[in-house]
Amino acid sequence: MRGGIVRELAVRRYLNQFRRIFQDPVLAIGLILVTLFLVLAVVWPVLAMVGESMSEAGRPLFARYLTEPTYQTIIRNTVVMGLLVAAVGTALGFLFAYVQVKVQAPFKRLMHFVALVPIISPPFAVATATLTLFGRNGLITKGIFGVRYDIYGLQGLTLVLSLSYFTVAYMNLKGMMQALDPALEEAATNLGANKWRIFRTVTVPMLIPGILGSFLLLFVESIADLGNPLVLGGNFEVLATRIYISVIGLYDTTGAAVLSVILLVPSLIIFVIQRYWIGRMSVVSVTGKPSGTPQMITHPWVRWPLFAVTMGVTLLIILIYATLFVGAFVEVPGVNNSFTLSHFDFVINGYGSEAMTDTTLLSAISTPIAGLLGILIAFLVVRKEFPGRAGLDFAGMLGIAVPGTIIGIGYLLVFNNPLDLTLPFGGENPLTITLIPKLTGGRAVLGGALAIVMVFVIRSIPAALRSGVASLSQIDPAIEEASISLGADNARTFRKITLPLIRPAFLSGLIYAFARSMTSLSAIIFLTTPQTKIMTQQILNETENGRYGNAFAYCVILILIVLVAISVLYLTVGSATGAERTLEGGG
Amino acid sequence: MTVQRTRQGDLELIDVVKSFPQREGSGVVAAVDHVSLAIPSGEFVTLLGPSGCGKTTTLRLIAGFEMPTAGRILLDGKDITHQAPNKRDMAMVFQSYALFPHMTVADNIAYGLQTAGMPRAEIKAKVAAALDLMSLGGLGERRPNELSGGQQQRVALARSLVMEPSVLLFDEPLSNLDAKLRVQMRSEIRGLQRRLGITSVYVTHDQIEAMSMSDRIVVMNAGRIDQIGKPHEIYHRPRTRFVADFIGRANFVETTVEAAAGDRATVTVLGKTVQVPVEQPLSAGTRVTAVLRPEALRLVEDTARCPMTIEQGMYLGAETEYILAGDGQRLVVIESGLSAQRLFAEGQTVCVDFEDEAVHLLPVG
Repeated sequence: MRGGIVRELAVRRYLNQFRRIFQDPVLAIGLILVTLFLVLAVVWPVLAMVGESMSEAGRPLFARYLTEPTYQTIIRNTVVMGLLVAAVGTALGFLFAYVQVKVQAPFKRLMHFVALVPIISPPFAVATATLTLFGRNGLITKGIFGVRYDIYGLQGLTLVLSLSYFTVAYMNLKGMMQALDPALEEAATNLGANKWRIFRTVTVPMLIPGILGSFLLLFVESIADLGNPLVLGGNFEVLATRIYISVIGLYDTTGAAVLSVILLVPSLIIFVIQRYWIGRMSVVSVTGKPSGTPQMITHPWVRWPLFAVTMGVTLLIILIYATLFVGAFVEVPGVNNSFTLSHFDFVINGYGSEAMTDTTLLSAISTPIAGLLGILIAFLVVRKEFPGRAGLDFAGMLGIAVPGTIIGIGYLLVFNNPLDLTLPFGGENPLTITLIPKLTGGRAVLGGALAIVMVFVIRSIPAALRSGVASLSQIDPAIEEASISLGADNARTFRKITLPLIRPAFLSGLIYAFARSMTSLSAIIFLTTPQTKIMTQQILNETENGRYGNAFAYCVILILIVLVAISVLYLTVGSATGAERTLEGGG
Repeated sequence: MTVQRTRQGDLELIDVVKSFPQREGSGVVAAVDHVSLAIPSGEFVTLLGPSGCGKTTTLRLIAGFEMPTAGRILLDGKDITHQAPNKRDMAMVFQSYALFPHMTVADNIAYGLQTAGMPRAEIKAKVAAALDLMSLGGLGERRPNELSGGQQQRVALARSLVMEPSVLLFDEPLSNLDAKLRVQMRSEIRGLQRRLGITSVYVTHDQIEAMSMSDRIVVMNAGRIDQIGKPHEIYHRPRTRFVADFIGRANFVETTVEAAAGDRATVTVLGKTVQVPVEQPLSAGTRVTAVLRPEALRLVEDTARCPMTIEQGMYLGAETEYILAGDGQRLVVIESGLSAQRLFAEGQTVCVDFEDEAVHLLPVG
């Protein structure tokens, strides 16, 4: 009886929520469009990929792949690499964040900057430069120490992936450390604890959700990485590279789909744990106004060792990027070091110019779409109530939760043939309407560019979505309600009130979107066509063929384009009103 | 801002229910539980109650930010239960003021008029008039964060008033101001409301605010209305123990009706037999609770009737507060005026005295 009433009330609540949404047509249309886009661009391809793996041909492969020693080794490699990178990367991120927030040390701005560089560089720029420095003919290993060091394999991958991905952990933990209320440490000091005890009993326990979250995120990111294992893996094969080879080398989409599911399941599980469970564990409130002044660590025995390690890593990163930069200007990096501009000529005027313009154009198209969609989803998820809200949030995050290669295969499965609707009437010559044209492969619409833009967008939405959610939850909902109460509808409120107030989040969402699009490889590697070339893939080609100079020139240009884009975004979207400062000041 | 209205702003809530899903488990909680309320045009009504009593939810239902699970809301006889909040002829003043931080004061006030598509010149005139009305002249180009709390409050009020709504809604608008400013804004808001004759619904947990501003007070408790009445009725004739306890301070003494005749009942309270007016006839032998306000009691040295001991005395200047204990009972007595200066010692045995009219009877339970 009671259950019946509860159910009836729940039904009525859903009806009310729908009524609320559809009271405002703009809101309803926005919700429907966003949902349709996510379903089309990410949910459907992923489901299609899962469906393919469950097909007649796919099902037996699961047993084979999970029992055959070759594949067991690949799976073990993937897990071991993921765990190592997650551990090393999180440790590095923690170290950098701790030094940045808590330790009095010189060169902190430099360290901060260096820690952020990986965001704007192509995923395996570090790998290629590392090969030049520490490879079999490495400038340092062979040149200085005279050893023929074999960097290919697990150790090289761990180094390179940790350096490439620790930024995530750094940003995450730095934010949390800054939000830690200094009053807590003051209280602990007041109760007689020394600095080491405070670190052990207050700081670290408060940061555990951040540490765990970073660990899991790094794990997911590193097992999804394709470029680095291709360049640096050698005989060390992981799932992402095997999937790539299955598609490109063996034309075995079904096998690739089965392997993808094997990669997808742990990725998704860990992502869900990270997102929903650890998020709830967090005890650090970011909204609380920290009181008091954080105590800096000044003890020389703590300060200088921490500084030395951090500075060492900083210098290593600088060395790697310097190699990349210098390497772009020499004939054959590490072998023939005479100055040349031929690599840049190749990229800017030659064969590479097409990739450069295509990638920049497609990224520039995707960026505002991803930024707006991400912020719109954030607005809907944070501010509106409707059935399926959690589902929309989750679908919005799929772009980052699902490894790129998997999205690529999904696109091949779904969009390689046009989706036609043959109308049931018309007799002999039934009317056929093409609902979705062929988006991938040869003779695809716009040379496959549409599919690439879609992938760029869904890969970039999560960053805009998360920064939008974080920013919106800091803004008093009453401000938007005031606008509604004064007669503005949702669209006007969003345009006039919400968007201006979350402009910094929107800006950082756009920057991430552009950088992510420019540097993404795994998701679009199956989607490029002779008509549409993408820089990251060209870099991979050049690297695999040993033409490091060209690869470096591509990297330098790519980084420059991203930097210019960031400046342009700052100038056009950046704030002039000062409203955000008001919000940050807690006004 | 003088508007000629032909009786607008008749607000009516009919059997309104708002239930939320329970945080844990699968049940539901009724935040607003069958609330019916009619507010005639021009009246200032306060929803008063402790936090979580449903007063804010009721206000948000009226504003349209929440949708009732059941029941209807009428404005001037028209059903607005499912009307979108931006289409309702109402304006709300928020606890946090909710000023738009990225706009100037003038832009904040102009916002609603611009949304309505009013011509520029007219907006300018109206904004200037509103700034004047709220004594904000010269602050139009400032940003909200450059204003004091009191000024921000005035901007919030001006922003709502300029819309000339049928109904003004206030969600604890004074709770972020310091005590002195609160008193001042109280009479300012009330004065403006009287002058403009706008129906107002005001939510607060501060009984003094409610008493000083309202035509009528609606006391809410656990999602239900406990009592609706003029401030005087609420204070002197509380209908439930909750209302008596929440509005002002009260001593409760259990007793039995000794004799009843028509609208009067005879009871003995603290050793004194009194005749008390009652709303509903009570029969002899009924258990009742007598409500005695602390300021209606006075201390006497004659200890024959009901001796009690002074546990604590607090001299507060204008008044002196005593806590008495004895006969399984605790009493609060507030002496004011000259008698506040006549101090009794802690530990002294005294008795309390009061007028017959000081006693108000409630059914037990």
